[in-house]
Amino acid sequence: MIFDFWGSHVTVPSDIISAWILTIILAPIVLFWISKKKKWPLVREYMITTNHRKIGTMYILFGVLFFIRGGIDALLIRTQLAVPENDFWVFQNDKYNELFSTHGTVMIFFVAMPLLIGLMNVVVPLQIGARDLAFPYLNAVSFWMFLAGALVFNLSFFMNSAPNAGWTAYAPLSTDTYTPSAGNDYYIFGIQISGLGTIFTAINMIVTIFRHRAPGMKLTIMPLFSWSTLITSFLILVAFPVLSIALFLLMFDRMFGTGFFHGGVGSPIYWQHLFWIFGHPEVYIIALPAFGIFSEVISTFSRKRIFGYPAMVLSLALIGFMGFMVWSHHMFTVGLGPLANTFFAITTMLIAVPTGIKIFNWLFTMKGGVISFTTPMLFALGFIPTFVMGGVTGVMLSAAPADFQFHDTYFVVAHLHYVIIGATILGVFAGIYYWYPKMTGKQLNEKLGKWHFWIFIIGFHMTFLPMHFAGLQGMPRRVYTYQLGEGLFEFNLISTIGAFLMGSSMLFLALNLYKTHKHSPNVGNDPWDGRTLEWTVSSPSPEQPFKKMPYVSELDAYWYAKLENEDLSEANDTRPAPVSIKTIQPVILSGLLFAMSISFIYQWVWLMIITGLAVLSIFPIRSLTSRNEYVEKRVKHE
Amino acid sequence: MLDVRIEKLEKAVCFMKKLVSLLLIFLPLLSGCQLRALNPNSERASDQTFLIWFSFGLMMIVLSVVFFLFVRFVSKYKQTEMNKNDIPRDVKGNKKLEITWTTLSMLLLVILAVPTVAITMESSPELAETSLENTSALHINVTARQYSWSFQYQNGKTSENQLILPKDKEIVLHLKSDDVIHSFWVPELSGKQDVLPGKEIILEFKADQVGTFLGKCAEFCGVNHTNMTFETKVITQNKYAEWVLE
Amino acid sequence: MSNEKSSEHYNDKRLGFFIYLIVESVMFATLFATYFVFTSEQSTPSPTDVFEAKSVIISSFVLVLSSATLLISEKGLSNKSPRLIVLGLVITFLLGLGFVGIEIREFFTYINEGYTLTTNVFLSSFYVLVGLHAAHVLFGTIWMILLFYQLMANIPFSLYVEKQRIFHYYWHFVDLIWVCIVIFVYKPYLF
Ligand code: HEM
Ligand SMILES: [Cu+2]
Ligand SMILES: [Cu+2]
Repeated sequence: MIFDFWGSHVTVPSDIISAWILTIILAPIVLFWISKKKKWPLVREYMITTNHRKIGTMYILFGVLFFIRGGIDALLIRTQLAVPENDFWVFQNDKYNELFSTHGTVMIFFVAMPLLIGLMNVVVPLQIGARDLAFPYLNAVSFWMFLAGALVFNLSFFMNSAPNAGWTAYAPLSTDTYTPSAGNDYYIFGIQISGLGTIFTAINMIVTIFRHRAPGMKLTIMPLFSWSTLITSFLILVAFPVLSIALFLLMFDRMFGTGFFHGGVGSPIYWQHLFWIFGHPEVYIIALPAFGIFSEVISTFSRKRIFGYPAMVLSLALIGFMGFMVWSHHMFTVGLGPLANTFFAITTMLIAVPTGIKIFNWLFTMKGGVISFTTPMLFALGFIPTFVMGGVTGVMLSAAPADFQFHDTYFVVAHLHYVIIGATILGVFAGIYYWYPKMTGKQLNEKLGKWHFWIFIIGFHMTFLPMHFAGLQGMPRRVYTYQLGEGLFEFNLISTIGAFLMGSSMLFLALNLYKTHKHSPNVGNDPWDGRTLEWTVSSPSPEQPFKKMPYVSELDAYWYAKLENEDLSEANDTRPAPVSIKTIQPVILSGLLFAMSISFIYQWVWLMIITGLAVLSIFPIRSLTSRNEYVEKRVKHE
Repeated sequence: MLDVRIEKLEKAVCFMKKLVSLLLIFLPLLSGCQLRALNPNSERASDQTFLIWFSFGLMMIVLSVVFFLFVRFVSKYKQTEMNKNDIPRDVKGNKKLEITWTTLSMLLLVILAVPTVAITMESSPELAETSLENTSALHINVTARQYSWSFQYQNGKTSENQLILPKDKEIVLHLKSDDVIHSFWVPELSGKQDVLPGKEIILEFKADQVGTFLGKCAEFCGVNHTNMTFETKVITQNKYAEWVLE
Repeated sequence: MSNEKSSEHYNDKRLGFFIYLIVESVMFATLFATYFVFTSEQSTPSPTDVFEAKSVIISSFVLVLSSATLLISEKGLSNKSPRLIVLGLVITFLLGLGFVGIEIREFFTYINEGYTLTTNVFLSSFYVLVGLHAAHVLFGTIWMILLFYQLMANIPFSLYVEKQRIFHYYWHFVDLIWVCIVIFVYKPYLF
């Protein structure tokens, strides 16, 4: 569609117009609904909270929201690819490129990350007997920075300039010479800001886990989800700063005329190194917490302690450590030469060992147990075969010369979804069903939960299994169509049907949420017969948990206490609770960062200066205001 | 409290059955070997295909062990009316078992690593600066640009989006890009090799059958990436000699 | 009791801040790597053409000295002597400001000679690395102003001590980065 703006013609594609119209219709409805239900105080409460459970819940809420967005992208992709030489709506050429770029970026940074961080927020403090995260204020800042980044990123679509260089943004395609529109600037700022938020979360988690564990809970008896959080946080600490600098340099290339990643003077390959030094650990960052969730779930619903706990911890650490030595397996076809290819092929194969150990330990946790097929357990059971299938294709990919064929084809698309959906998404679902009582006080409906699981898993395999063959048949990834005679039609058609099946499973989740909140009563502390400390506090978790601090002397201490029909012994605890407060500052900071990103993207110097100074001024404001609460708090203690 | 139903096992088994039958549907396709990447027409591609099958075979061992244990444990230890109040005996671990599967999986990987290393060392393309000049071979300059390919033969003849090769002759492609990164890919003849701006890369192979093969750009390179394809014709050496002089 | 509690909070903060410094180290390490990748004697202009020993020596002197003068303040903190604290802080502040001034002058000299951010990749990586460091120093000086203010305002002394200690870690860290810059960025081409 063509519009006249002060004499200049602006063409706006119809998908964008529809999105705007939809938003303009939906927004008032949502606002009206909030007013009608008198929920504004609740909204306000969440905006000024620093409580870990509330922040975790918001992470999950927005993670799910962006999951819908990324999912719609996925379904549009699959629709365009359903049949050969398709011309679905506008999604060919650049529009298609925008689709998979936003799909990938949104799914990794604004779905997988916040969903997992949300669960960590809700669960980790409760699981280790902390009263909150060590730095509640910083936690709120992290969340609002994530949201600011996500909003910047999503705004790009509405401005008709979605990023279009893939989630990997390979240079020189991603430099301003080849993609001059604002799209990849949105990419840079969206990820940069939410990434910094993630770094703060990692710091927060590490300090919380090191210093706020319940008395007696040595690291050697800490539950595995907390362990996976700890190790993930260390990975974030090393991986995300590299991404941050890579984006910083790319920003200089795009905005200030440098040539770090240009073909002639700079080095496009250097971008790939930086990106994958971040990117490979990133896939472990979103997998390890899921492993932690499965460990909890499988152990609880087999009524047995985890098999080989030391090996489980050690393999987490090993995977994390080795995760930094394999990045160039994404670059086998770049031409790094025989030695580099051999080295990275070997390290990649090695990393399969600790992963395999974990799989066997999960299997042997079930052996001899009493397995109940609850919804969280079903997701955990679905994970094992699914993830192993993704794992074995991973080993196949690690054989460098074989990867010369696999690389950048649908085989890789299949592999990456088997591992990411198999671990992260199934893990997140398991975690949400499992810990839902701790977030909201209610237990999700089991029947609908099982429907959700079965349709999802069947749809999943139907979507992604055929992609292996499409890849081997010569279908590169990131293409918007294929010809009839290429032998790709059947595979793609099955994939598309599967994708819609998978999408429809989410309706059961929606129905479940609706029904649960409409009809179900609150449940007690321990609806699943759990093993760890989070099940000793009420559901939803109170703002001041552990009034009586338990003493923890072994792994799954709560479980063994229950077996003995005893309460956990009470500890004499002198640790102060972290200073939780109500503050609007994180929201303001996030708004400022949002505005600052826009000012950079469109190079509005005046706004850069204003927002830059305003962001800087948050530091003294925080320092001066925190002093007051702090002193007050102290006075109260005395 | 804990709401558990028993029939769930049947569902788990049924799911596995579905998975297996899905696999079975596709296996004939696989064994038919019609998939392009598994249908090599050069030694280079054969090596790659061998590794694909070899690693697939090894991994099938892993997969079947895991699937077997999975189905067995899930069916044997499901909760039933009888055991629903049991508290299973706690097992902390089992050093012997753990060492066993650690060593076995290492062993399996060593078996995979040996041919992988051999083939990788032999067939990883390199920058032109570091690779040795092969004088007896046929050299072709390949230039990729958004969104087309051009090929320049030794006598200066060029062709666009069409690569003509003689059968049974060592081919040395000199890959260069004019703009962004592309990737040269003809599944039947060679794996992918990225084509970089500002760097020349050498890709060597020898086609051992005549035929026409579809080549594609495999590295996302912009708006029209999808359509950046080319045709590769392998013809007899005599025909090639004629063609190149045309 | 309350002192114990606040020191628990302080220990949290200190650990958190140390971890943050690890994050910063990784960021700077990446920038150093970038500098190594893009810098060689062959680039035109080359580092030897561009760098001036004089300003590097002066600015290094100033910054290293400022880390030393901060020790005066540190002494004041442990002796509860506001005079020493202020003295150390003022000198450090002036030195920090001086350093930023010298850096700006250095950059301007280079730019006037035609060596700008976009001249070649060596200069780009140089400016980004050294510029980011200078921004850290500048941030530190602003932080010191805030500390002055808090010292004047009537906050509990023990709390003030905690705040300034955290600043000390920051300042010494930034100083350390500068030492690395001298060793890896300037020295191979100057001395
Ligand atoms: C709802 C089910 C999903 C479907 C049907 C789906 C489908 C697809 C397809 C077809 C592609 C390839 C696009 C192309 O190369 O042209 C793709 C790419 C990708 N997907 Fe998904 N996907 C789904 C869920 C997810 C999830 C949950 C994640 C991660 C958390 C994810 C991460 C990615 C990534 C990282 C890429 C690569 C993007 C790129 O090439 O830049 N996807 N997806
Ligand atoms: Cu990787
Ligand atoms: Cu391309």
